[in-house]
Amino acid sequence: MTATAQLRRDDHRGVIAGVAAGLARRVGVDPMIVRVGFIAASFAGGFGFALYLLGWALIPGEDGARAPVERIAGKRETWLLVGGMVLLALAAMLLLREWGLLFSDAIVWPVILTAAGGALIWRQSQEGSGPLSAGSDDALREARGSDPMALPRLTLPRDALGRAFVGAALVVGGGLVFLWLNDALRPARDVLLAVVVVVVALTLILAPWWLRLVRGLAAERTERIRSQERAEVAAHLHDSVLQTLALMQKRVDDPREVAALARRQERELRAWLNGRRAAGDATVVLALEAAAAEVEEAHGVTVEVVAVGDAPLDERALALVAAAREALVNAAKFAPGGPVALYAEVAPERIEVFVRDRGPGFDPAAVPDDRRGVRESIVGRMERHGGRALVHTVPGAGTEVELVMVR
Amino acid sequence: MSRLDRTSLVAGLVTTLAGAVLLLDRLDVLNLRFDYALPLLIAAVGAILLVAGLEGPRDRQ
Repeated sequence: MTATAQLRRDDHRGVIAGVAAGLARRVGVDPMIVRVGFIAASFAGGFGFALYLLGWALIPGEDGARAPVERIAGKRETWLLVGGMVLLALAAMLLLREWGLLFSDAIVWPVILTAAGGALIWRQSQEGSGPLSAGSDDALREARGSDPMALPRLTLPRDALGRAFVGAALVVGGGLVFLWLNDALRPARDVLLAVVVVVVALTLILAPWWLRLVRGLAAERTERIRSQERAEVAAHLHDSVLQTLALMQKRVDDPREVAALARRQERELRAWLNGRRAAGDATVVLALEAAAAEVEEAHGVTVEVVAVGDAPLDERALALVAAAREALVNAAKFAPGGPVALYAEVAPERIEVFVRDRGPGFDPAAVPDDRRGVRESIVGRMERHGGRALVHTVPGAGTEVELVMVR
Repeated sequence: MSRLDRTSLVAGLVTTLAGAVLLLDRLDVLNLRFDYALPLLIAAVGAILLVAGLEGPRDRQ
C-alpha cells in the first residue's frame, strides 16, 4: 500500500489541521475543492464544521502521529478517574433527588459535565511533576536558551494538553448548559452572537498570517538546533580525532605509540558515538583531573590542578570540561616544556576554570579563520551552553584562558 | 516487599460494606429500597474507579 492510499491529515499542505488536504490527497483531487466543500457544508446547519472537527479528531496525522481522540484516550487512568467522578456525582444527585432536596435536569447535567471536566484537569495537574520539572538536561538547556538564568518554560506535553483542553471544555460547557437551561443566557445572546461573528471574521482574516508565522518560527528553531548540533560535532571531532591525528604525525617514528594513540582514540570515539561517559568522571573536579591526566600523557607536559569545591557532572559542566581540556591541549602544544596550571572553583551558582601557561602567547586577531580550536572548541562551545570564555594573552607573556559557566 | 494495592483495598471495603448493608436489610434492621440501592451501587463503582485512576499504572515486575 502506498503512502497516498492511507487516509492521513496533511499537516504540510493543510491550512487549519490538514483534514481537507489529507482527504484531497487520499481521493486525488485539489485540496481547494475539498475546502470549498467543507465551507459550503458549514452553511448547512454547521454540518461541514462538525465534519471537519470529526475528521480532525479521528484521522491520524503524518509520520505515524496518532489521532487526537486516540491520544487523549490513551491513558487508562485518566478515564478511570473521570468515570469515577461522574459516577460519584450521579450517585449523589440520585440520593439528593430521592430525599427531595434536589434537583431538576437544569442542575444534574451541568454538574456531571463539570465533574468530568474537573477530574480531567485535576488529573493533569497531578502529572505536573513530570513535564514541569524539565527533567532532562537537554530540556532544561533548550528551555534556558541563551539566558542561563532563565527558568524552564512551564509547558505540558501535547497529550496532556489535549486532555486538559477537553477538561476545560467540559467545565465551560457545563457552566454554559447550566446558564442556558436556567434561561440566563437570553440577555447575553445578542452580545454573544456579535462577539462570535467578529471572532470568526478575525480568525478567517488573520489565520493565514498566523499559520505562516508559526511555521516560520518552527522552521527557524529546527535550523538553529541543527546548526548547534553541527557545531557540537565539529568541536568534538576537532578536540579528539584531529588532535590525535596531529599527535600521530608527530610520533610517526614510534609505531607502538602511534598504535596506542589510535586505540585510545577509537575507544573514545566509540564511547562518544554510543553516548557513554567515562565511569570515573562523575564530578566536575574528577573530570578536570582526568582531562589533565590525558593531556599530560599525550603531550608530555606537567599540568598542575588546583580545585576548590565540586559538583556533579551535567551537560553544562561537561561542556566546560571539554573546553578546559582544549585549553590544556593548546597550552601543551604552544607552551612546551613549561608547566601548565589549571585552577577550578566550583561554587553553587557558577563554575570558574582558569588555564594558564608561560608560553610565548599569541595574538588572537592573527589566528586564521580555519583554525577552530579557540573559536569553536572553547569560546563557541561555552557560549552554546550558556557560559563564556575569555582568552587573556599577550605575545611573549603567556596565556590565560578563563572559563565561566553559570549553573 | 509488595506495594499496598489501594484499589483492591477499597474494592474489598466497598464489597464488605455492601454485604453488611444487604445483611442488615435481610435482618430487617434496614429497609433497602431500589431508590437507595442504585445510588449506593453507582457510588461504590465510582469510588473503586476513582481510586484505580488515582493509583496509576501498576509497576511491572
